[in-house]
Amino acid sequence: MLTIAKLFGKSPFSPLQNHMKKVGLCVKKLTEIFQEIENKNFDKIEALVTELSKLEHEADLTKNDIRNHLPKSLFLPITQTQFLELLSVQDSIADKSEEIGNLLMLCPRNSLRVFTATFQEFFKKNLETFWDARQIIKEFDELLESSFGGIEAAKVKAMVDQTAYKEHQADVLKTAVRKEFFDLADTLTPSAFYLWTKLIDEVGSISHISEKLANQIGMILELK
Amino acid sequence: MELDLIMMILVLVVGFYMAWNIGANDVSNAMGTSVGSGALSLKKAIIVAAVLEFAGAFLLGSNVSETMQNGIVDPTHFMDNPSVFIIGMLSALLATSLWLQLASYFGWPVSTTHAIVGALVGFGIVGGGFSAIHWQEIGSIALSWLISPVLSGIFSFIIFSILQRKVLYALNPTYASKKLVPILAGIVLSTFTMSILLGGVHNLKIELSSLQSLGLALVVGWITYLIAKILVRRIHIPETGELYNKYNLSQQLFSLNKSLKHLQKAHLVAESDTKNEVSSILNSIRILSASLQEKSGYHKRHSEYETVEKLFSFLQILSACYVAFAHGANDVSNAIGPVAAALDAIKYKSLNNSFQSVPTWLLAFGGVGIVIGLATWGWRVIQTIGKKITELTPTRGFSAEFGAAITILVASKMGLPISTTHCIVGSVLGVGLAKGLSALNLRTVREIVLSWVITIPSAAIACMLIFYLVTAIVPT
Repeated sequence: MLTIAKLFGKSPFSPLQNHMKKVGLCVKKLTEIFQEIENKNFDKIEALVTELSKLEHEADLTKNDIRNHLPKSLFLPITQTQFLELLSVQDSIADKSEEIGNLLMLCPRNSLRVFTATFQEFFKKNLETFWDARQIIKEFDELLESSFGGIEAAKVKAMVDQTAYKEHQADVLKTAVRKEFFDLADTLTPSAFYLWTKLIDEVGSISHISEKLANQIGMILELK
Repeated sequence: MELDLIMMILVLVVGFYMAWNIGANDVSNAMGTSVGSGALSLKKAIIVAAVLEFAGAFLLGSNVSETMQNGIVDPTHFMDNPSVFIIGMLSALLATSLWLQLASYFGWPVSTTHAIVGALVGFGIVGGGFSAIHWQEIGSIALSWLISPVLSGIFSFIIFSILQRKVLYALNPTYASKKLVPILAGIVLSTFTMSILLGGVHNLKIELSSLQSLGLALVVGWITYLIAKILVRRIHIPETGELYNKYNLSQQLFSLNKSLKHLQKAHLVAESDTKNEVSSILNSIRILSASLQEKSGYHKRHSEYETVEKLFSFLQILSACYVAFAHGANDVSNAIGPVAAALDAIKYKSLNNSFQSVPTWLLAFGGVGIVIGLATWGWRVIQTIGKKITELTPTRGFSAEFGAAITILVASKMGLPISTTHCIVGSVLGVGLAKGLSALNLRTVREIVLSWVITIPSAAIACMLIFYLVTAIVPT
């Protein structure tokens, strides 16, 4: 009879990776928006932000789908709490990119002098951190195969360390950006000031969340 | 005399049907995973399963069959009226067949063993009263039903943990598995030989002392080890590890990455000209490190686990054979035990001098029934299971099957009828507990426990009803 076949549940890990793929699409869209601002090409931005919202919504739907189809009786190699935490951290990156896209759309055109080379570098470093975390999630198949140990775990551990290091670099850049920003602050209108302060924080949060995600994977690893 | 002949034919037909059922449904437990992981083709799996199921039934089927024959319902209780006993055995077989049909129609995870034991108890109660049943034996059988899945699970957990530590967590998994696979093959064959020989094989008139069996088992294991070692050496494995050592690429990569880190730090604090200079150096080092990475196969490293699985597929075939053998040894009794009891009663018409042992031809009869069940229907089930369980890769499959096979064969030697399916479920859970599987559906366990509770009384009641029906028709 098919008892043994019934024993094997549907693995939620490839949906998890799928969700991360969608989060990656959001981040990619955000990069496009950023590019347009860099090129002072403001007409397209609104359309791009709408697209980003749509992508974020899709990621949300995927997340809810995974959550709702995760029966309590499913036994995973990591705890269900750990799994759901991974999912929610992943999803918060999509939320943040939507938020940043919105803020970028709103920021007054005459305040673009805040948009310095340092700021751009800061932004790029944050996204780099995300792509590192994305790469780690891609490794999940191999992690499962090696049951979270051995050379595969060592490799992922190195990736986690790299992500953490990039997060640190992003933090250093954030300090630099803030310094430049507050030098300009007196020349900005209160609303622009508020907007840019928020934008810096939100962009910085991408690397924070990515590092958090990487660290969570790092905690699953079986390293002696 | 006429009636006896009819009875005899009826009992044989229903017994054969039971054997057919076992072959059709339960052999897939042993072979399904090997087909699923691609270690065996469907055709080969069926041939191997047929040979080993028959061998298991023929060589080691007698112990459990004798339990079924006279260990549950006391035949001496029916000395005055053997026809009641014959009808009872027939009803038990019929009730079990009906119950199994119903269960497979609804897809319940029901065990043949539990059903037949339940049916026999049912007959015992109505046919001869409570005193006709060996309650002590029933107690130990029930206990074995609880213990055997747990024990299988523990065995499999330990085996998979060893594989994790020795192979999956090794720095060079391919090399580690090349070393470990022949040793494990030797161990499998030794335990296999040992579990057959210990206590003797009555059908072949082989009686060896424990020390002799141990010696023979060790010799067999050693020979297997040597053969496996030669076979493994002949399999060509592209070793990324070797490439590493030859060019010492990993060391270079490591140092380059380190220098990249430092340059990045310098890049952050440097100004104007220096910054530009540093970034150009950074770029060229990045390119160099990328090209080195490609050469080293750093990204392809996970393919090592593929090679490991390939090597273990050899072991998975061995463990699947072991399970098939153990399954034949334990489950043939479900069909043959009651038949043997009924035939003896018919033959002697008095139950005094019978019940010595199950005749060899009857074991062969059961074995043939299983093989025919496998050939006519079982292959389909194997195919379905193989498609559904792709998760049980050779390392996992080997751990689960070996753990279950040891338990089943030990139980068979002790004459305890247990459920092979439940043992394998226990084993798979054991591997899952060791973090070997990505998702297990624990609801199945609840269903099994539930079916356990339902099967025994249902089969018993079905058997009682059929018994009353038959006694109403046939004058005893």
